[in-house]
Amino acid sequence: MAQHQVNYASSAGLPIALTSVDKLVNWGRSNSLWPLTYGLACCAIEMMASGASRYDFDRMGTIFRASPRQADVMILAGTLSKKHSEFARRLYDQMTEPKWVISMGSCANTGGMFNTYATVQGVDRIIPVDIYLPGCAPRPETLQYAMMMLQKKIRRESANMNNNTKNSLRLV
Amino acid sequence: MRKYTPKDNVQGKSYYTDRYWVAPRIPRSKVEEGTHFEVVVDALGELSKESYVEIGQLIIHIDPKTNLETLTILKETCGYTQCSEQSAVDYLAKDGEFELFYQLLNITEALRVRVVCRIKDGEAIESVNSLYKSALFAEREVFDMFGIKINNHPFLKRILMPDDWEGHPLLKTYPMIGDEFASWYEVDKIFGKEYRDVIGPENRDQSRIERYDTKRFSRVGYEVPFNADISEGEKENPIEYSETVLVNYNKNSSKQLDERR
Amino acid sequence: MQQTNKLTPFFENLNFERDDNVMVINFGPQHPSAHGQLRLILELNGEQVVKATPDIGYLHRGIEKMAENMTYNEFLPTTDRLDYIASTSNNYAYALAVEKLLDIEAPRRAQVIRTMLLELNRIISHLFFVATHALDVGAMSVFLYAFREREYAMDLMEDYCGARLTHSAVRIGGVPLDLPDNWLTNLAIFCDKLDHEVVHTYGALLNENRIWKMRLEDVGVISAEDALSWGCTGPMLRGSNVNWDIRKEEPYELYSELDFDIPTSDRCDSYGRFMMYMEEMKQSTRILRQLIPMYKGTNPQLMAHAPQYISAPKEEIMTQNYALMQHFVLVTQGMRPPKGEVYVPTESPKGELGFYIKSEGEPYAYRLKCRAPSFFHTGLLQKLLIGTYLADVVTIIGTTNIVFGEVDR
Repeated sequence: MAQHQVNYASSAGLPIALTSVDKLVNWGRSNSLWPLTYGLACCAIEMMASGASRYDFDRMGTIFRASPRQADVMILAGTLSKKHSEFARRLYDQMTEPKWVISMGSCANTGGMFNTYATVQGVDRIIPVDIYLPGCAPRPETLQYAMMMLQKKIRRESANMNNNTKNSLRLV
Repeated sequence: MRKYTPKDNVQGKSYYTDRYWVAPRIPRSKVEEGTHFEVVVDALGELSKESYVEIGQLIIHIDPKTNLETLTILKETCGYTQCSEQSAVDYLAKDGEFELFYQLLNITEALRVRVVCRIKDGEAIESVNSLYKSALFAEREVFDMFGIKINNHPFLKRILMPDDWEGHPLLKTYPMIGDEFASWYEVDKIFGKEYRDVIGPENRDQSRIERYDTKRFSRVGYEVPFNADISEGEKENPIEYSETVLVNYNKNSSKQLDERR
Repeated sequence: MQQTNKLTPFFENLNFERDDNVMVINFGPQHPSAHGQLRLILELNGEQVVKATPDIGYLHRGIEKMAENMTYNEFLPTTDRLDYIASTSNNYAYALAVEKLLDIEAPRRAQVIRTMLLELNRIISHLFFVATHALDVGAMSVFLYAFREREYAMDLMEDYCGARLTHSAVRIGGVPLDLPDNWLTNLAIFCDKLDHEVVHTYGALLNENRIWKMRLEDVGVISAEDALSWGCTGPMLRGSNVNWDIRKEEPYELYSELDFDIPTSDRCDSYGRFMMYMEEMKQSTRILRQLIPMYKGTNPQLMAHAPQYISAPKEEIMTQNYALMQHFVLVTQGMRPPKGEVYVPTESPKGELGFYIKSEGEPYAYRLKCRAPSFFHTGLLQKLLIGTYLADVVTIIGTTNIVFGEVDR
């Protein structure tokens, strides 16, 4: 994975102390992303498969945690129905900062093939999403790629979350 | 004049209907002598208004008020110990009635019977959960999806839809994409009615293209750099969904056409 | 920065303060071992469950409503998402129901391929059951071993139809694709590997394991009449000593020609059901081994010949004019089956999966009802969980093998 290698030694100039603290903090954050187990439907099976023997998720430092207070990333895998949307938002609010959201599969991105009365047409109606994963169901390699893209995104950010301006749909 | 859309059945219809097409019916056969089905029909006697055999299963039409009696006879005397399935079909548009059915299974004979009854809109039906406990969930589902009330059910509450949902989804008058209550349900529940403008309506158009969004959509023929701002100063052109590309026919380069000639 | 929203910290429909000193616990819709989105409202007296109310519907997607708005062929990939662990079994149950409605039969080669896919899906589903049940009870390494075998089986499915999870490998009237080269040899290798693993890895780790036995014996006991009354089918029923398997009693496809046994267990508890699942996997490999030589020598026709309902094979469509016209009409308008209703049960890995289709002669079904085994097994939880300890709740949910795609549809 040479393209994802990060050179921690260089800091491209000034102010040197601040950027290496940033880099250190982001290195810690990105390499141990703990996802919240939020498998809803079929994509949950692929998420489990990506955490299982062949496509191991543990090598990226991800440990699936069940409690939102201990998790960093919320991987919404599967269809979010309207009955469930309240709980998804509640759990998202209970996650502690810094937190990110990956929306996995077509149903979470846009409602997918279920153009019906009981499906939320896209999880980003209620939760701000960082990475969208297409697929139905996406392969485990796609989920791993999304995780690595999220890691790249985290490394780009400044460590102080209040200064981060996310121009995606941050609902305020 | 706009096209007539019937209000009592808003489900999708095939775009073309052949005026002279008469759909054939699945063949029905009489109940044969000496089979177990005949024993069943004899045991029911007066209760069955009509009975026939279709695709290897016995279908019995009964009066809805006698459903508990009929099923008791079937369970105790004839040995149909499992109720595999219970549901309803909405015929309100055609006859103003619902058609309920109970699908029963006899383990020892490996035979299936379907008990069918029709109730009018607004009528209630007796619960069969004293005989088959599977009715506890199945009847709740019938209530939730169709609005048919069930008498003597211990816990008749909505099962698949949220408790405060309005409307019964599987009726033919309920559109597949949901009515207005459905489309704003999650926004109202979580953020409140004021946020309807912030979040905006649902996007139910599966082939929607946003015209001035150059970040997620590429505009074939009018390419601009990624994420360029074109909200003003764009040529007034209608969006063409099918591109007809003019081929530059160069006589020297296309050999195949010449050969065919 | 936390954002204000209307959600209040208490559930509106639960009364947590009770007079009779009973603790109410919400085993919420998001839970690592709830097998999906099951919300159980448990009332506990100490550690014992006094009352359990399952609350479902968190994955209701309106699949039955979709069936009333789509043609029969369009709806087939949607049935994949019902029991998403063994997708081909739902596709097949739906295709069989429509075929009974149309009164057509798939050709021989298609039948062989379909039976092979069905048994392969049974193995995939049972491996998933073993993996998640073990994970919930606490044996986490079995999860990794079972998923390793499952990946080999999913490789086979992927070689055949291109998808790992949501296959759509079966069409109304047959199968769309022929087997690729070497698929049968890979299948034979997989069967040998699986047989070895079931005995030497999962069997050796779990069957005589003292902790496993203590967790599973006498947990989730259900008698035969209760199981019948609550609508249990499949392994739940066979685990209570009722010898009922639709593959033997109402055979479809090639099951009447194959030689296999149906394991039953008279223990009526979770341990008996677990041993039954392991034995069923062995029987599935036995069936697969019998099917492999049946493929050779069959006529290469893959879809039934019923031009009114089913399109011609691709070679004919590309060359014959009338085949092309009929295919166009069938794809755009949809096929019009005869009027009537049909209920066809099949033995899916979870139980009796049946489709009730009522047709009015229109290209869209008038009513489609999916009889899902997990729906009734979830209803059974109301009875099974009473009197058990909190730790057994997880075991019982695992042993009923519920999948929420089916329960909520």
